[in-house]
Amino acid sequence: MPSTNHNPARSPFDFQSAAHLIRIGEARADTLGELLEHVRTCSEGSIFEHTFQTLQEHHFLKEGLSNDFAQWALAACNEAALAEHLTAVDVRDFTSIADLRERVIETLEEHLQSNPQARERRSFEPFYFCASELYVMPTGISARTLDEFAEGLSQVPRASIHYHFIDARLRLKLNSNDFSYWLRDSLDLPAMAERFDRIDIYTLTLEDVRRKMIAVLRDQDGNRGRA
Amino acid sequence: MSPRKKNPPAAKAPRSASTKTRSKVKPAAPAPASAAPVAAVAGVESPPTERRRYPRLEPPAPLPMAQLDDYAPIVGRQEIDQLRFLADRLRGRRVKMVNSTAVGGGVAEILNRLIPLMNELEIQHRWEVITGGQDFFEVTKAFHNALHGAPYDLTGDAQEIFLRYNEQNRQRMAFGEDVVVIHDPQPAGLIHSRQPDHGKWVWRCHIDLSNPHPGVWGLLRPLVEEYDTAIFSSPAFSRRLSIPQYLFYPCIDPLSEKNKKLEESSVQDVCDAFGIDRSRPILTQVSRFDRLKDPVGVIRAYKMVKRYVDCQLVLAGGGASDDPEGAAVLAEAQTEAAGDPDVFILDLPPWSAFEINALQSASTIIIQKSLREGFGLTVAEGLWKGKPVIAGAVGGIPVQVIHKLTGMLVHSVEGCAFQIRYLLTHPEFAAQLGRNGREHVRENFLMTSNVKRYLLLYLQLLGAAAPELA
Repeated sequence: MPSTNHNPARSPFDFQSAAHLIRIGEARADTLGELLEHVRTCSEGSIFEHTFQTLQEHHFLKEGLSNDFAQWALAACNEAALAEHLTAVDVRDFTSIADLRERVIETLEEHLQSNPQARERRSFEPFYFCASELYVMPTGISARTLDEFAEGLSQVPRASIHYHFIDARLRLKLNSNDFSYWLRDSLDLPAMAERFDRIDIYTLTLEDVRRKMIAVLRDQDGNRGRA
Repeated sequence: MSPRKKNPPAAKAPRSASTKTRSKVKPAAPAPASAAPVAAVAGVESPPTERRRYPRLEPPAPLPMAQLDDYAPIVGRQEIDQLRFLADRLRGRRVKMVNSTAVGGGVAEILNRLIPLMNELEIQHRWEVITGGQDFFEVTKAFHNALHGAPYDLTGDAQEIFLRYNEQNRQRMAFGEDVVVIHDPQPAGLIHSRQPDHGKWVWRCHIDLSNPHPGVWGLLRPLVEEYDTAIFSSPAFSRRLSIPQYLFYPCIDPLSEKNKKLEESSVQDVCDAFGIDRSRPILTQVSRFDRLKDPVGVIRAYKMVKRYVDCQLVLAGGGASDDPEGAAVLAEAQTEAAGDPDVFILDLPPWSAFEINALQSASTIIIQKSLREGFGLTVAEGLWKGKPVIAGAVGGIPVQVIHKLTGMLVHSVEGCAFQIRYLLTHPEFAAQLGRNGREHVRENFLMTSNVKRYLLLYLQLLGAAAPELA
C-alpha cells in the first residue's frame, strides 16, 4: 500500500502524455564555431529537441552523454573536455528554454576562448539542427489518492513520465515537476515531493524513474520519517 | 528481451557426416519426404536427392494480419490508446500511398503493415504501385545509385524514360485523397496530378541524398519542391528545400514473420537445413546483393577474424524486383568466398522472412557493413532480436547504432574485423549492446511509432491540431 496518506487530493492528477514530430531544420554545423552561431539563433523547439527531448528518445541508456550537443562534441569533434562541460548542463536547473540556451552558449564560448584552434576545426560529421513539435493528449487516467496515483504511474506510457517529470519545469517555471507539485499542492506531502525531486534522471532509465517513484509512494516509513 | 546466449547451444539433431564437413551443399539432416522442394544455395548446384525445406520455392500462406491490440504486449496498452486518440481526429480521411514495387525492399515491407493498421484506425489508406518496363527500372536503379553519389552519365534518353513512365502512370491513376504520400524518386513525377485546391502531397524519401549526383538531383529537385512537405529517414539525408521537412525513422514490425519471436526449435530447424553449425559463432549480414552493402568487404573481414576465431559467415539476401544488378554482385561474393565451407551465401526468394528471422535469431553477431545506406532496416531487425550489431557508419545506421552503447560503428574492413573479434571475446559487453539495442528499437523504430508519426503529420497537414511547441 502506498504511503501513510489516504486522504483524497484537493484536485485530481490527470495524467497526460505527449507525442512529437521532429522537424528537420535548415541549420547544420560543421565546426564548433558554427554550432555556437546556430545555438544562438535556432528555434526554442530546436533547443528543446536536443536537450529535453533526446532524454526520452534515449531513455533506456544509463550511460553516455546527456544531450545531443555533448554527444556531438565528443563523437564528431573529439573534444572530450567540452563534452563533459556540456553534459553537465542539467535540464533540471532551467525553467525556460531561453536560460538553457544561454548556458549552452556560455559553455561553448568558454571552451572556444580557451581553445581557439577548435573553433574552425572540421567535425567528422555535421550537427543537424532539428526541432520538436509537441502534441499533448490525455491518457484517460486520473488520480485523487496516492493509491490511484501509484496505479496510474504504473500504467501510463513512458512519454507521460517524461512529459510530467522532465518537460514539466518549462510549464511550471519551477525547478520541480508535475508530480512533486501535485504532491505538495494537493496532498500536502512536501517530504514525498522532495524525494521525487531528488530522483536522478541522468543515471536512471525512464523505467527506473517510474519504479523509483512507485517505490517512494510505497515507502511508508521513509515518508513518515520525512513528513 | 532475450539476451544473447554466451555459448550457442549445440545443434539438437545428431551431427551427420555432412555437418562435420560443414558443407553448404549437403543438408544437416535428411529432409522429410513431404518437404517442399528448395532452391539451391547460391552458386552451388544441389544434387536432386539433396533437398531442403528452406528456402521455400513458393510463398507461404500469409500470416493473419496483426491487429493494433496485438501490439499492446510489446509497446503497452497506453501507446495503442494514444494511436486511437490521434486517429479519432482523422476518421474518414482518405490517404493514398504510391511506390515502385510491391515486393522486395524495406518500403514494401513497411507499407504492407502500415496500410492495414491505418485502415483499422478508420483512416482509409490505399496503396498503389507504379508500373514500368525494364528500361524504366534500369534508369531508376541508376538514378538510385547516382543519388547515393555514384558516378553516372545522365543522358537525355534516361530523363525521357523517367518522365515518360511517370506521365503514363499519372494518366492511369486518380488522386482525390486528402493526403497523397509518394515514396522515393521513382514516382516523384506524379506530383503533376496535384490539384491546387485539394489534397496535401508528401514526398517520403527513403534514400540518402547527402551527396547526390547533381544532374539527377537537378531533375528531381523541382518535382520535390512542388510537394507540401518531405519526409527523410535521417537529417543527414535531407537537402535544403523550400518545403518543410520531417524526420521519420523507418520501422520494423515486431509481429511480422521476420521479427516475431521464434521457437528455438524453428531456429534450429532452419540452421540444420542450411547446414549451419550453431556450436560455433555465426556472423550474419542480411542484405540484397548490392555493392553498396559491401558483401565482398564482409567476407574479407570474416577472413581476418577466421585467423583467430573459428566462426561462420552467413550472407543472406536476394534481388529486389527493381534491382537488376543483383546477380553480378552475387557472383562477386561467390568468387571472394570460393572454397570456404563456412561461408554461406544464400540467395533467398522474397518470401523468406521466416528464414531470415531464424538466421538472425541464431546469429552471434549481426553485421551491416554498408558503404551507403538508406536507413538499413536490417540493423533494426538485428537490434530487436537483442543481437550485438556491427555496422558501417553511413546513412541512417548511426541513428540506430550509437557507438559502444547500442552497437559498434565501423568505417573499414579492418575495423569490422577488429570489432567482430572484440565482441566474440567480450560476450557480456556484447549482450549489453544487444539489450540496449532492443530498447532503442522499441522506443524509436517499431511500426507503432511509424503509425503515430503519420497520424501526427496528417493532423499537421490537415490543420486538425496545432502543436504546443513549434
